[in-house]
Amino acid sequence: MGAMSPLLECRGLAKRFGDRTAVDDVSFEVGAGEIYGLLGPNGAGKTTTIKMVCGLLAPDAGTVLVAGRSMGEDLSAKSLVGYVPQDVALYPDLTAMENLTFLGRLYRLGGKVLEERIEEALELTELTDRGGDRVESFSGGMKRRLNIAAGLLHRPELLVLDEPTVGVDPQSRHAILERVRELGTTGMGVVYTTHYMEEAERVCDRVAIVDRGRLVAEGTRRELVAQLGERDRIDLTATGDLAEMARRCRAIVGVDDAVAADGSLQVVADDGRKVLPAILQAAEAVPVAVDSVQVVEPDLEAVFLHLTGTALRE
Amino acid sequence: MSALAITATAVRRVLRDRTALFFLVVLPVVVILIIGFTVRGFSTFRVGVVDLGAGAAGRDVTTALTHTGDLAVQRFTTTRAAAQAVARGQISTAVVLPAGMDAALRAGRTVDVGVVSEQADTAQQAAAQAVTTVISRHGARVQAALFAAARSPASFDAALARASALQEGGGAQVTVASRQADRRANVLPQGFEYSAPTELVLFVFLSALTGGANVIDSRRLGIYERVAAAPVRASTVVVGEALGFAAIAVMQAGLIVLVGAVVFGVSWGNPPAAAVLVVLWALVGAGAGMLSGTLFRTPEQATAVGPVVGIAFAMLGGCMWPLSIVSSTMREVGHVTPHAWAVDAWTALLARHGTLGSIGRELAVLAAFAAGFLVIATRRFARVVAAR
Repeated sequence: MGAMSPLLECRGLAKRFGDRTAVDDVSFEVGAGEIYGLLGPNGAGKTTTIKMVCGLLAPDAGTVLVAGRSMGEDLSAKSLVGYVPQDVALYPDLTAMENLTFLGRLYRLGGKVLEERIEEALELTELTDRGGDRVESFSGGMKRRLNIAAGLLHRPELLVLDEPTVGVDPQSRHAILERVRELGTTGMGVVYTTHYMEEAERVCDRVAIVDRGRLVAEGTRRELVAQLGERDRIDLTATGDLAEMARRCRAIVGVDDAVAADGSLQVVADDGRKVLPAILQAAEAVPVAVDSVQVVEPDLEAVFLHLTGTALRE
Repeated sequence: MSALAITATAVRRVLRDRTALFFLVVLPVVVILIIGFTVRGFSTFRVGVVDLGAGAAGRDVTTALTHTGDLAVQRFTTTRAAAQAVARGQISTAVVLPAGMDAALRAGRTVDVGVVSEQADTAQQAAAQAVTTVISRHGARVQAALFAAARSPASFDAALARASALQEGGGAQVTVASRQADRRANVLPQGFEYSAPTELVLFVFLSALTGGANVIDSRRLGIYERVAAAPVRASTVVVGEALGFAAIAVMQAGLIVLVGAVVFGVSWGNPPAAAVLVVLWALVGAGAGMLSGTLFRTPEQATAVGPVVGIAFAMLGGCMWPLSIVSSTMREVGHVTPHAWAVDAWTALLARHGTLGSIGRELAVLAAFAAGFLVIATRRFARVVAAR
């Protein structure tokens, strides 16, 4: 972040639903042209956070400023934000153009300008030739792209995407990630929530790690990985009592943390190769049948494990 | 502009939905047609005629019955066959013209014409009354002809022809003009003039209730969340959706009015009063539709429960049958629904030449219903679209 005032400024955001704290004292800033990722598992509080950013939820505490305008107090702040919800929020019985026309008018676009913006948004999402078709005839990936086009229609300064690749085929996912990267280069600020570590690493300039409603760390990939020091991550695919295996691994000297989930075990250690024999001995003792072992360089998954004691896919 | 965009989208989606169009356009017209013919049947009585050899006088009476617009004449050969038809409800009443009737009348003797009906049935009593009137008129002509033939050189046939001409041609006559003391009394429009307005009331409300499914659909699709992310106030969304409901209701009502007038010859009464009534009823429907959109959780619930509620209200409110035939308690219960007030207003316009002033009370009650529905719906609706 430079000396310029940030495009998005969130300070001390908190939201409770009954007894459950969904978001707890979350603060972060996003600059113009920056792609900022909110990385965390389902239920971590990412969606609640961005709903407060977009003015869809009133925070119990804290403030959201977009280009200095207070979200919630100044209706014009909403016109600076483009919101792309997690689920495709479009009328299936209307055509792509009719949907965009409807949404464009909500942002007070009309006439020639609206026509141009629709053309531009369809072109950007490679849907120009399908503009006159009903959305119900689109594939899942095309619907997702149109969902993004709807958020871009009014040329927002800040684009907020809530898990835009969930349920999308690899080809469409690749296309969406490419578009998001391109948007960052146009000067548009982007908030991108995901629970896919590889998406956050590939797309985001900076990443915030969110767990149980709290923002536990933020920074560039390099900065976050540096928090781990020179630790390695060991991924084991195995069958058996993996919880017991994780417990035994944590007792091994040199192992920082170990978490079992979905038929696999993740171990963070100072030197992966050095502790590997002890880990395999533990597997024999439980007993656990190990199908594969992989020692990987530190990544955001390992950072998440290190910071929260849980795996992202849990 | 935002509210109108919401309205235009709501209307576009409905007009594109073939199922919705069937219920908005086709079904009301079909039901008006069926009920219109049924109710018109009530004002035309089927009358049986048994001519046992009555001669020229019998033929004259039969012709007179045939020429009466409210009676459809069917001939029977025996009194027994005619009585059976009355008992089975195939005809409302039967007239038995005795043998030698013509000769007896010419001779100045009294003739007994038999009328067969069941006294317990009000429709049959009315039919018998209509037949009696026709026979009495013929009796009056015969008496006049006998009198003229006795006091002039003219023959009985010539005198009878002269008496008939005078009776039909508008000579000196005494008629009775009746007027009802209670302006809300039991005077109903007939045929399509009854079915068209009552079906308008029924279907506009019914369509609005089921139209609530579109609101639920928009909510489930996340459209309102997306709209709430735009610089649009919750009140704008509410106004836009309400206008959508009202526009569809006015379109449907307008279509029924047009089809009623052009195809079924319904007059619809005083135009300004009818227009105000249509608009107010559209607003009642808009409020009810939006309420339905916030009360039900799924579109399936709205489309399943909406018609049940709509038809129940229509039954209570006099859209299926006139409230004049139900008990006073049920009549009062019926007026808990807006339907009863709307039907009262249409009845006043179509059967009693009502005006804006004469249906003021009904319009005020409908305005209150519309306001009530809209206020409750707006509060519930605002919660759906507003930031929480």
